[in-house]
Amino acid sequence: MNTIRIWFTKEGDASYISLLDLQRAMARCLKRSGLPVWYTQGFNPHIYMTFTSPLSLGQESLVESVDVKTEEEAPDFEEWKNRLNPVMPGGIRVTRVAPVVHKGEEVAFARYSVWTDQPGGREAAQAYNQADSLPVEKKTKRAVKTVDLKEILPHVQLETEGEKYSFQMLLPAGKELNTNPALVLESWEQAYGFPARNWNILRTGLYTRTMEEFS
Amino acid sequence: MLDGKLKQALAMVQKPGRYTGGEPGSVYKEKEQVDLRFAFCFPDTYEVGMSFLGEKILYELINAHPNWWMERAFMSWLDMKEQMETLGIPLYTLESKDPLTQFDIVGFTLQYEMSFTNILAMLDLAGIPFYAKDRGEEWPLIIAGGPCVCNGEPVAPFFDVMQLGEGEDQLQSICAQVEQAKKEGISKEELLLRLVKIPGVYIPAFYDVEYQEDGRIQTIRPNRPGVPAVVTKAILKDMNAYKPPVNFVVPLIGAIHDRAQVEVLRGCVRGCRFCQAGFIYRPMRQRDAEGLDRAARDLCANTGYEEVSLTSLSTSDHSQLEELLDRMNTWVEKEHVNIALPSLRVDNFSESLIEKTTRVRKSGLTFAPEAGTQRLRDVINKNVTWEEIERTCTIAFKAGYTSVKLYFMMGLPTETLEDIEGIADTAHKIVDLFYQVKDKPKGKGSVQVTISCACFVPKPHTPFQFCPQDTKEMLEEKQAHLRAAVRSRKVKVNCHFSDISFLEAVVAKGDRRLAPVLVEAYRNGCYFDGWDECFHYDTWLEAFKKWGIDPAFYAYRTIGLEEITPWSHMDYGVTHDFLVREYQKALEGKTTRPCNKACSGCGANQLLGGPCFEYHQDLVH
Ligand code: SF4
Repeated sequence: MNTIRIWFTKEGDASYISLLDLQRAMARCLKRSGLPVWYTQGFNPHIYMTFTSPLSLGQESLVESVDVKTEEEAPDFEEWKNRLNPVMPGGIRVTRVAPVVHKGEEVAFARYSVWTDQPGGREAAQAYNQADSLPVEKKTKRAVKTVDLKEILPHVQLETEGEKYSFQMLLPAGKELNTNPALVLESWEQAYGFPARNWNILRTGLYTRTMEEFS
Repeated sequence: MLDGKLKQALAMVQKPGRYTGGEPGSVYKEKEQVDLRFAFCFPDTYEVGMSFLGEKILYELINAHPNWWMERAFMSWLDMKEQMETLGIPLYTLESKDPLTQFDIVGFTLQYEMSFTNILAMLDLAGIPFYAKDRGEEWPLIIAGGPCVCNGEPVAPFFDVMQLGEGEDQLQSICAQVEQAKKEGISKEELLLRLVKIPGVYIPAFYDVEYQEDGRIQTIRPNRPGVPAVVTKAILKDMNAYKPPVNFVVPLIGAIHDRAQVEVLRGCVRGCRFCQAGFIYRPMRQRDAEGLDRAARDLCANTGYEEVSLTSLSTSDHSQLEELLDRMNTWVEKEHVNIALPSLRVDNFSESLIEKTTRVRKSGLTFAPEAGTQRLRDVINKNVTWEEIERTCTIAFKAGYTSVKLYFMMGLPTETLEDIEGIADTAHKIVDLFYQVKDKPKGKGSVQVTISCACFVPKPHTPFQFCPQDTKEMLEEKQAHLRAAVRSRKVKVNCHFSDISFLEAVVAKGDRRLAPVLVEAYRNGCYFDGWDECFHYDTWLEAFKKWGIDPAFYAYRTIGLEEITPWSHMDYGVTHDFLVREYQKALEGKTTRPCNKACSGCGANQLLGGPCFEYHQDLVH
């Protein structure tokens, strides 16, 4: 039995598919592809699937992945990719099918690119970078606690291209410490009055604890 | 593409996936390269609309023409409607996200009366004037199809074209004419005069309706030469000539019925006298097992669905059902597919049928005796006897079923309190039966019987169209009587009566004078009327009052046998004489045999140009 990782993008229309819906949709897409994926045994067999580090609704990503199993001894990854792409929903594009290197739990950081066409965002980012601290309320599974955002995210990296600008943010990811980029933008709204709406949030990379690219 | 405003709206609403499209199976074309653009509008939520087979049929048929493009639009839920109004986003289709005003044809499906105000809401969100007479040449052609067209008179003033009957051929002919009209640049009037020649096409503006002083209709007359006095529905003579769709748009966020569906037959042989579908889809026509099996398999492969349902008004009346299940059982397990039979009937539910659907979850069994006593079941021609219920339940209990759901109607013609007691008795007898059946599987020690009661709504084109609806007081009394008659804790009663049934009866039998009432009600906040939380009865009553219309006139009045009804000019193949005959037989408690056993001469065979059935042995159960 081989476990293989399917890498895909989740953009545009597809950014509004919740994790639960994505699981069902992905199962149907895999079924449509006719690829030899492994079904769980038992009374109600279903396709074995594990998703890594789910995204919030409305956010986009270039680096989503799902693990499936197959009894194929030497899967032809290029063939898998070519058969999956035509059956995917709009906004989901399979970029790579590859053997599993890291376990899903090893995801520790995620990089996001964030941009807007509203004026004032640049100033908010600059204010944030200069601030000593920015306390925010962060919900965990058990309680709401106050943390200093600056400790989690010391600064954001501004990139300008003419009138347009975007920020890069590297945030903790994974089960325990996950920080949603929306939380950062909401804190800017509270602290600097910059509206948190109308941002585009795109996840561009996933990393392990040692900042190795997750793969 | 998603523009900024739309993104902003989507960030604010529940279930944004209702409004984005991009599902597997959805069709995208280059809009510059198509000659005709069609927006198919379902006047309810995405999840409801995406369950509807008719749209899937037409979506595949129309989009098979390379130069036509059909897209989908649904009614936005309250939160999205508010966002769209605030941000100025006009109603758009999910595929191109273009506003409805950019389309050549905007087509609505009329599935149930309580969705009529949603049509207005959708037109309003799109910025399209409601009344056909207020729309000049620059507006899309606004059309409607679906079962409620059989008395679409309350909404007729809003539509340029209405379609009676089955849309497969008809809609393609309409599209071809519109494409041609665009090329020639002819006027809308001229186009409508061409469309009226297509079977089943009804142009409301081409008919004048006059009323008597007491409110009844005096005459309904065409006002142009060449327009037929009576419109006859369109029909597919041979179902095998039309393959069921083998591609569905597969919703990403789910739907009410989120599974593959194969339509095994159309129409129904039973002739239950309350059932509109049973009359307007006559005669019953079925598809061959071989083709159905192939279509089911292709559809499952193309969609990835894990369940396929064999749909129709009465699937167990398919003469080759067992053969079909045998064929399907050769591949369903390997392909990880379950079979669902949604409309099993009490009277031909057999052990082998249960075996053949072992891949269906075995827990709930549903029956619709509709009435509590044999007398009343004879009145409504629901040919179900206690012996049959007993036999079926025995088989089912032995097979491991432990819950039975029974559907009844209250307020049926000639109904008495004795019939109401019969509902409770039926449930009690099923509970007793469960404990009498000896060889049940282990661990299935307890039974649950649920009685579900709906309120009878008399419908046009049925033998009960002449009947008044029970008043609210009568229904409340019957309901209390039923609750008092239930003695067992194994029996649960669900009665949902509401003012909605009354309004449904009014609109179902309504005429064109209701159009301004609908507009008024919508303007004052009525839409999604079928959703309890959105139903504002008082607002409706005010709207009737404002237009000087007494709703009771439509719901509570007995219609004379010779009276001209608002739907008199619509011919669904079943003759008026037959409806009268059936009505009189009903009052005498006499039943009529199903079409596959004996023809009772309803007239619908005229649509086929020959007999509906060859009365061979294999068609008779
Ligand atoms: S013509 Fe006879 S067989 Fe055909 S639908 Fe009518 S009653 Fe049934």
